[in-house]
Amino acid sequence: MEKERNQKEKKLDGYWAETKRCLRLLKVFAKVSLMSQLEYRANFAAGVAVETGWMLIKLLYVAVVYRVGADIGVLTPDHILLFVGIYTLMTGFYMLYYGNFTSISRMVREGELDLYLVKPVSLQFLITMRRLDAALLLPDFVAGVIMIALGWARAGLPVTVVSVTGFLFFTVCGALLTYSLFLLPHLLCFWIVATRGVAEMTSAVWDFNNMPQLIYGKWMQRIGTFLLPVFVITNFPGLFLMGELSPLLMAWGVAAPILFFGITRIVWKRAVRNYSSASS
Amino acid sequence: MDIITVEHLKKEFEYYRKADGLKGSMKNLFRRETLTKEAVKDISFRVKKGEILALLGPNGAGKTTTLKVLSGILFPTAGRVEIDGFIPWERKNAFKRRFSIVMGQKNQLWWDLPASDSFYLNKCIFDVDDGEYRKTVEELAELLDVKDLMNVQVRRLSLGERMKMEILASLIHRPRILFLDEPTIGLDILSQQKIRDFLRYYNEQTKTTIILTSHYMRDIEELCSRAVIINQGQLVYDGQLADLGHLMGDSKLLTLMGTRNLKKEQLAPYGRVRELAGARAVLEVPRPALKETASAILSTLPVQDFTVTDIPLEESIALMFQKEVTTV
Repeated sequence: MEKERNQKEKKLDGYWAETKRCLRLLKVFAKVSLMSQLEYRANFAAGVAVETGWMLIKLLYVAVVYRVGADIGVLTPDHILLFVGIYTLMTGFYMLYYGNFTSISRMVREGELDLYLVKPVSLQFLITMRRLDAALLLPDFVAGVIMIALGWARAGLPVTVVSVTGFLFFTVCGALLTYSLFLLPHLLCFWIVATRGVAEMTSAVWDFNNMPQLIYGKWMQRIGTFLLPVFVITNFPGLFLMGELSPLLMAWGVAAPILFFGITRIVWKRAVRNYSSASS
Repeated sequence: MDIITVEHLKKEFEYYRKADGLKGSMKNLFRRETLTKEAVKDISFRVKKGEILALLGPNGAGKTTTLKVLSGILFPTAGRVEIDGFIPWERKNAFKRRFSIVMGQKNQLWWDLPASDSFYLNKCIFDVDDGEYRKTVEELAELLDVKDLMNVQVRRLSLGERMKMEILASLIHRPRILFLDEPTIGLDILSQQKIRDFLRYYNEQTKTTIILTSHYMRDIEELCSRAVIINQGQLVYDGQLADLGHLMGDSKLLTLMGTRNLKKEQLAPYGRVRELAGARAVLEVPRPALKETASAILSTLPVQDFTVTDIPLEESIALMFQKEVTTV
């Protein structure tokens, strides 16, 4: 019994040590990625400009809502500004590593995974986090934070330790869920090789989040919350602030990232076993 | 002591066949004919610690597939492989720290940054101690003659310089085993020589075990004493390079330079005429009859000069490439 417990503790220590190592490496990847991007100043600036453009388009939705001035159920235009802010911030986080997801298909097709498979670090971590695009994160992060702050203040939502902590907690859960949920479709490439269609479909699904889930019908909300939980990502932090998140949904908000991360790990391991490289 | 053991290794791939043109593509959309290719068929060999082994074979023979299985990149269909106490496809981190693989047609360096940044990344991934890392980079950069290129963007380096950097990057963690898949492919003669000199010196100093595939005979002749030759996935030779010559028969080449044009009918009685161009001819002569034949030629034919050479290793290997049955 004690031996078993010791083994479990040892295993946990191993996981913790590996997590710490990955976080250390993440810092190095961020640094190297930024250095690499700064080699091409014009491209870096263009990346910022393009992402700013996309963000401004999203802002148009908010502008329309304010111009109409109508409430949608319990949502005032200020609440909508808050939700769009969370969506923008999450898009920034997602865009930070999105390029890694889309390159998995090419890496599988051209056998580029070979030299990553021989590194003594989690392959999933290495492949999905090795290049981080600060140019895409920057505008979304700044605009997202501003919109959240404005929406929060104008909607008169509470600023307490509980509300801020809860909001940040569900934001982190959402960011973790994004990683797992949107990595899954890209893993199909290990079986079907080319996944451009799948990548485009996931982008379309992501955009379901550019408005609060409350504007959709009941069934749509259920599907988007439990079956394909994209709504959990950007809606739960806002719903928590508004006091609209039931205990069941709170539990699901915590469970979904863990569940989907587990699924991603299982699929990843099977996918890599299926890797057949490419002839040299 | 054997550091690498390969027993009855087999690797199959599945692939689809598609008929020509759009019709074939449409048909393929609904029904695909799955075929199986046996890239490696029942290969067995062993490598001793500190040895440099040549893994040879024509294109598509299964050399790269074998190296990929040995480095854990691919799972084998059947067989047993043990490398320094590890089974490669279990992909344990401890195993990954013991070896390195360099592929001439693939690169691990960050294209837009100086190679030194990629070295640093490898240092972090392999958890190499700061002092050890600095010492390794300094020493290897000196040996490979790339000290002045450390801060130049990889994309601005020549192919030869880039390959030296690739080799350096693969040695940051001081592996005990090194797999080199055509490391000199496409390089100029000087770069090839530099890499060969480095590998020989490095192997002597560190006793690193190396498996090398290359289509350049100079690489093989200068670095390896033993070769494993595979053809169509099957092992056709495992032995000393020096013994390969005997497989060609016990013959020598006699190169003649005549005072006037030579004729095939004149030369045929003395041996097999391999080349004939004006006054120059190359004859293949059985070794026991060499002295006698040379003196007969000099006394009867208008020949002013001659040289005797061994049959090139390349030809022995080419002969092996055509064989299909194991002759170990």
